[in-house]
Amino acid sequence: MNIKARQALIIASSIFIAVIVELTLLSRLGLPGATPDLVVVTIVALALAYGPLPGAIAGFSAGILMGLAPPFDGVLGLQAIIFTIVGLVTGAVVDPRDRSVPVIMGMVGLSTGGVVIFNALFLAVLSGDRVVWENIPGLALTSALYGLILAPLVVPGIGRIVRSLTPEVAIA
Amino acid sequence: MFPRRLRVVVAVLLGVALTFVILDLRGGQGPFASVQNVAASILGGIERGAATVFSPITGFADFWTNTRDQKARLDELEKSNAELQSEVKRAADDRARASALDGMLKVAGLGRYRVVPAEVIAIGPAQDFTWTVTIDAGSDDGIEVDMTVLNYQGLVGRVSNVEKRTSTVVLIVDPSVSVGARVAGSQEIGILSGTGKQSELQYQLLDPLASLDKGAALVTFGSKDGRPYVPGVPIGEVLSVAGTAGQLSRVATVRPFADISTLSIVGVVVRPPRTDPRDSVLPAVPDAPTVTAAPTPTPTPAESAPQLSVPSEVPATDISPSP
Repeated sequence: MNIKARQALIIASSIFIAVIVELTLLSRLGLPGATPDLVVVTIVALALAYGPLPGAIAGFSAGILMGLAPPFDGVLGLQAIIFTIVGLVTGAVVDPRDRSVPVIMGMVGLSTGGVVIFNALFLAVLSGDRVVWENIPGLALTSALYGLILAPLVVPGIGRIVRSLTPEVAIA
Repeated sequence: MFPRRLRVVVAVLLGVALTFVILDLRGGQGPFASVQNVAASILGGIERGAATVFSPITGFADFWTNTRDQKARLDELEKSNAELQSEVKRAADDRARASALDGMLKVAGLGRYRVVPAEVIAIGPAQDFTWTVTIDAGSDDGIEVDMTVLNYQGLVGRVSNVEKRTSTVVLIVDPSVSVGARVAGSQEIGILSGTGKQSELQYQLLDPLASLDKGAALVTFGSKDGRPYVPGVPIGEVLSVAGTAGQLSRVATVRPFADISTLSIVGVVVRPPRTDPRDSVLPAVPDAPTVTAAPTPTPTPAESAPQLSVPSEVPATDISPSP
């Protein structure tokens, strides 16, 4: 398999697994506050490993897949916009030479928390009545917290898979 | 700052996503909607499998949550046991009167829900602000859009989307949901709406002069042909009432009977009762048997699913919680 196909396969399968695990396992654990956002952590991990362009593509496909998978009932495409930006920004902002733990954790925390806020803002503009503003601080904080717990498992895991299967394009 | 290729690709991706947003907001049918349905069917099937694989883990999580609450539950049970014992002494007389009334209204034998049981296999992330779940029954089991979903405690929601083997349920706590509800006893009607909080609903009485007491139970008053809500399903109890009688908008806070955070087995009403059972499903009858599972053959496509038939004399404990 050539390098592009291998890269596409890694992105597609990790996004797919993240979406299914988030919807059928993490959301059913009944944790307080937000649902642990494995999908966003996975996008951040892929963007860190491959850079901004594959990061944006990973974010886009994750957003579309979340929109197609039941029980989604919001506006299809909205999450694709937000997730594309998450992948792009993560890949572009984080310097490949500075992969320290605080930088990675900071990126995960900002992304998981920020997604909640931007999701609420976009939804409020497009289809107003569902957003409950007083819940947002709690949702953003718990989402960031769960993201920080997931990051040490997901980011190094995806990094290792990327480096061993597609060493030619892996960053650092 | 970005290289040209990156700018072009990101612009294309955002453009495509924006197109989806516009198509989705326009709504309706068409090739876009059918592609969406096919994708949802496939993903729903995969979710069924994944839910089975993960069931030991989610089962353990349930167990853990239950153990944590056991001390509080023990206290609560002891208290309610004491209350019930004093109630039992008064019950004989009440029961005789109630059965006489039931016979008079001819409600007992007629009000029957036919229910297809299903399990919740996926839940939408809380940060999406949509309170929706996926259940493992679909059009193959006779489920259709806008059917009522309930569990042993009370009303859960309505079916919003049906795939072949899964369907999506919008829960009553979703802020976009409104249910017509009647106060059990006084028969006053009003509109109940979701607030986006899992243990709170808002109830607005249509008649501002009507009295509404704390602890009053609400039941659905039903819609035309039982879609989306069949009549007589217990919804919740009034926690507090804001405003005084005569004020234009009197809003009550209602706690739903169904525990939205721990939903697992739910029932979809495939056939509503022939007549409105009023609130005859509400009053709690002590030590009545729980869910009566009676496989009933039907000529509908629901043949494949086991059917739960809930006769209205018993469901006091099946459908409504003890107060």
